Amino acid sequence: MSRALLHPSRIPWLALALACGLLFGAVVPLQRQAPALGVAGLEDRVLLLPPPAALRVASLGFHGTAADAVWLLTIQYIGGHLTSDHRFPELKRLVETVVALDPHFVDAYTLGALFLSYSAGDIAGAISLLEQGVRANPTRWEIPHDLARTYYLDLKDYRQALHWFEVTNRLPGRPHYVPRFVARLYAATGERETALELWRAMRDTATSDWVREIAEREIAKLERELAAPAREETR
Amino acid sequence: MKIAAIALNTFREAVRDRILYTILVFALLLIGASVILATLSIGQEGKIVKDLGLASSSLFGTFIAIFLGIGLVSKEIERRTIYAIVAKPIYRFQFLLGKYIGLVLTLLVTVGVMALLVAGLAFAVDGHWTPGLLLAAALDFLVLMIVTAVAILFSTFSTPTLSAMFTLAVFVIGRLSGDLRLFAEQFAGPGLRQVLEGMYLILPDLSRFQIGPQVVHGLPLGRADVLVAVAYGLAYTLFLLLVAIGIFERRDFK
Repeated sequence: MSRALLHPSRIPWLALALACGLLFGAVVPLQRQAPALGVAGLEDRVLLLPPPAALRVASLGFHGTAADAVWLLTIQYIGGHLTSDHRFPELKRLVETVVALDPHFVDAYTLGALFLSYSAGDIAGAISLLEQGVRANPTRWEIPHDLARTYYLDLKDYRQALHWFEVTNRLPGRPHYVPRFVARLYAATGERETALELWRAMRDTATSDWVREIAEREIAKLERELAAPAREETR
Repeated sequence: MKIAAIALNTFREAVRDRILYTILVFALLLIGASVILATLSIGQEGKIVKDLGLASSSLFGTFIAIFLGIGLVSKEIERRTIYAIVAKPIYRFQFLLGKYIGLVLTLLVTVGVMALLVAGLAFAVDGHWTPGLLLAAALDFLVLMIVTAVAILFSTFSTPTLSAMFTLAVFVIGRLSGDLRLFAEQFAGPGLRQVLEGMYLILPDLSRFQIGPQVVHGLPLGRADVLVAVAYGLAYTLFLLLVAIGIFERRDFK
């Protein structure tokens, strides 16, 4: 029986069958246990992420690819905490690592600052990240635009908002509504309408559901605030 | 004519090598997989496809250059075919140059296939062509020309295993030489700075061929920078080949 089984022509098939059995009988079930045992979970990977200087060397000059990998980790981190405790203690470090590896990654500045402001509540961190982005990318309108929006909506610092909208206004490719905002800010009128327009523009250009959700939430809040005085008057 | 015949023969031999196809298949799979990764990136699909595509093409091209390059001369010695070749009316430098050009032709085809796939995927994701990707791949090809010359240089006097290790080390140092200079400028004392500066000038600076970040972000490229990089790449390759010829000519095959 065993001699027939171990016939040279059957050994390769036997080895393959045993390999398949081992894969589905042991390797896959053991791998399923990994998350439960906390093997290299998301939090571990975030906490053990080396500093940018070390990553620059380790990536052998493929800095863009390394930045993409850390960006994907950042997205997983945001998603994980958005669905659990809504706390983001490592978010700033992650985004700073991404932009240290790829200083021209404009969306990392803008989306990173948005999540720092509206998810982590770290407006100062968002401002510092965006200012870093302006220094590294002086010809891109998106970063001064988001700085202006942050000063306008979150800090109500209209002088700084006006300054950054003026910077945006001078850059190629800026949105059509920017000159209107500059004019309004000079007149210092219609704050809520301006805010509403800013959020609507953001909702309409959002590339992610998370950003769209933040924008829709803020639009609903502003619409309620705008409707309240009107109801007061009708009473 | 003799160089062309050897180059063509080397090309034919290389395209029959299983290593070439194994590495190429891995590279094409990784470039293809970048599309799946990109879907998780919140609006960064184009960037990830281009970054990962260019990095894969460069890295796997280097593997091909090293693994095929180290065997160019040593295989002939191992199989003892070199004795028959050196006995023929052919200069040794013609043999070496023919071998080099044959492998470079193989690399041109493989890098071309990978670059076209990256450009095609980027077009599918972005909806517009990024011609800069082909320029980035062309500059990466110059890096491969240098790496192949390094591999052939080591293979003229060393074993295949040692040649592979030395060539890989030169590639790593070359990729990091920009950081080496930065390190020298920022932290080193006057003595160490001079040593590091000297190393930076002599070792191949492969970081100067990297225009991927500019291409991916649509930033302007300095024409002079590209031309200087091309001139540097060709001059460095020629220097390595001349050293390899010098060593190979003195080698005793009797």
